[in-house]
Amino acid sequence: MLEAFLASTIAMATPILLAALGELIVERSGVLNIGIEGAMLVGAFCGLAATYFSGSIALGLLAACAAAVALNALLALLVVNFAVNQVVAGTAIDILALGLTGVFYRQWFGVTGSAITISPMRPIALGPLARIPVIGPVLFDQSALVYLAFALVPIVALTISRTRYGLELRAAGERPEAADALGLGVYRLRWQALMIAGVLSGLAGAYLTMAYANTFVEGISAGRGYVALSVVIVGRWNAWGVGAASIMFGAAIALQFGLQAFGSAIPYQFFLALPYALTLIVLAFMGGQADAPSALGAPYPRA
Amino acid sequence: MALDGVDFRALPGEIHALVGENGAGKSTLINIFAGRLKPDSGAVELDGAALATGSPYAALKTGIAAVYQSPMLFERMSWEENLALGGFGPRTLRNDLADAAGRARTIAAGLGFKLPPAGAPVERCSVGERVRLEILRALSFDPRVLILDEPTGVLAPAELEAFLDTLRRLRGEGRIVVIVTHKLAEAIAVADRITVLRHGRVAAVRMAVETSGAELARLMIGEVAAASMNAAQVPTRTSADDPAPIANRGAPALAVEDLTLVGDGRRLLDRVNLSMTAGEIAGVAGVDGNGQRELVEVMAGIRQPTSGRLRVVPDRRAIAVIAQNRDLDGLILDMTLWENLLLAGAVRERFVCRGWLRRSRAIAFCAEVIAGYPIRAAGAASLAVALSGGNRQRLAVARALAGEPRVLVVHDVCRGLDLRATAEVHRRLREFAAAGGAVLLISSDLDELMALSGSLYVMTRGRLAAVADGERDAERIGLLMSGAAAQP
Repeated sequence: MLEAFLASTIAMATPILLAALGELIVERSGVLNIGIEGAMLVGAFCGLAATYFSGSIALGLLAACAAAVALNALLALLVVNFAVNQVVAGTAIDILALGLTGVFYRQWFGVTGSAITISPMRPIALGPLARIPVIGPVLFDQSALVYLAFALVPIVALTISRTRYGLELRAAGERPEAADALGLGVYRLRWQALMIAGVLSGLAGAYLTMAYANTFVEGISAGRGYVALSVVIVGRWNAWGVGAASIMFGAAIALQFGLQAFGSAIPYQFFLALPYALTLIVLAFMGGQADAPSALGAPYPRA
Repeated sequence: MALDGVDFRALPGEIHALVGENGAGKSTLINIFAGRLKPDSGAVELDGAALATGSPYAALKTGIAAVYQSPMLFERMSWEENLALGGFGPRTLRNDLADAAGRARTIAAGLGFKLPPAGAPVERCSVGERVRLEILRALSFDPRVLILDEPTGVLAPAELEAFLDTLRRLRGEGRIVVIVTHKLAEAIAVADRITVLRHGRVAAVRMAVETSGAELARLMIGEVAAASMNAAQVPTRTSADDPAPIANRGAPALAVEDLTLVGDGRRLLDRVNLSMTAGEIAGVAGVDGNGQRELVEVMAGIRQPTSGRLRVVPDRRAIAVIAQNRDLDGLILDMTLWENLLLAGAVRERFVCRGWLRRSRAIAFCAEVIAGYPIRAAGAASLAVALSGGNRQRLAVARALAGEPRVLVVHDVCRGLDLRATAEVHRRLREFAAAGGAVLLISSDLDELMALSGSLYVMTRGRLAAVADGERDAERIGLLMSGAAAQP
């Protein structure tokens, strides 16, 4: 029982964590990427489609990343180069992704209702570690994407706080005009951040279809991209915080599955709403945006 | 048109001063040099090679570094991180802050600059510290051309000499130093040549040894304008010819009793006592960062004092404050001029009727203010960000006075203003006092303090000490500012 809950928590936390780490990098550069939900969705669809047609997991992952990167490139063009309002552009990207994946899904796989499936990414057991009771199978017998997601937490944390690149990224997010005056290239930094986020949200989407559900349904990302946006806020724009918040949201989703399966008199919709209600409650009690990058969300047209 | 057919030449091994009134185009010109603006026509050349305009990176790479009038620092990062983002930072993956800070310390020691405590974020640094950090960061690029926009306004006298020596040393190394300034005496003292800008055109180029403050002032404002102004308004030393300081003794206006503010584990304000009467101008001298900003913030009601009292007659609303950092604390640059005027509660009251803004009246009032000061702007509905530094300050003064306060607290109110604007602001302050207002003039400009204030105080390490009448000379006050009198 406990083991199943913990395993489900990790499984649910992984796509949120991958997406949120990408969002963290983007936000530290000063861009609010609402389009993250759309990037996850195209990643989920293209990963599944490529795997289905080629039979190769590797090609599937590659396709997922490429599709999400392409979508983020479109967003970068809009919000970085043309200084379009970031909320409007991101929302448009989300709607575009929902429409595109829906159209291609019906085109390629029909609307028969018989779900297409692939053989999923297999869990990789890490030798004797996987045989530890309770936590062994939960932590050390998981898909490669799970290991990658959690390994990225310290890597992103150190990159942002300790490296030259992280310093420049933060400079672009704090005061883009000053960063430009120092020749740091704000456009370049923000493009790079959005490309990294493209890869990570593509993997987050691929996890949903290729490691978790093994199939695709329209709108499979189901608001997880928006949850990732909240995770960045709850995590106080810090990779360690983002890691902790992702696990918390993963647990909320796992809990609602558990409660539904338990079969109580409460309508299941209440449980479905649990992770989202948690998002609202936590954000309401977190209060201010004191840790947000100063220039977050502000268009920066170069003179 | 901000600039019109400007032809500017600086030679290697020269300190070149660029002078002109607020809005004459000085900032536009240096922004073009530094790659932050692209000219519509014309070219910039360095050592015979054309510079790619409109690229700050190209400008820095070619060797042009600039220090801007409003510091370009990252407020929430530590000062070490800010310096590492300049030329101190190694272009490697690892971000070696200790190394960057070490190199910065070496240059700072050579300049006699004092650096903030380790790890302090820039938002906690005083304006003076910020300018010093920016100068250090510009020097870190080892520039062929160093451009400085009004750099000396916030330096302490002791730092100023060392700083000017540094400029001379850079000149000795065959570099070019371009210094933008309003202080004509300083331009003549430190520069080799002086270019005068007027309304976006070069009015004249003079060798420093062959010109005078009076001639430069005339060139800056134009022959016709100079003839129409009386002598008192075109001084080389501001307000020197005006009548003696005002020391009216009227009804009490402001009483500060044992005001203490503790923050960061030290006393930012230490038992400050001060009483002012209507019609009085009281001056506060001191090196920036000795509690002036905190005193202003307590007066403005932004910070609550730890202990002590502040009483204003008749109540707290009768106090108006002009903070030192007008871009961060004074104006909202993305709002229009008339909206900025209405940001002051006392002004807003006059243009609100049952919750509705009386928009056309407010705009008409703003237009009056613009014409009266005058503020060089496209109109009441233009954005504050479009104003030059001096015009922003005029707007801040206009707003403070438009609320008809009884007590006016001003902090470095004339920093960055040209002669005419300074004279104008000084005249307004005197008029305000003559009409029964009380002015607390906090300034790092001793000349200004001596010319305007009746009673004079010195602030050191959060303490306020009155200067006796017999001690009113620059040397004695300089000694008090350095903390000599604070020793028991």
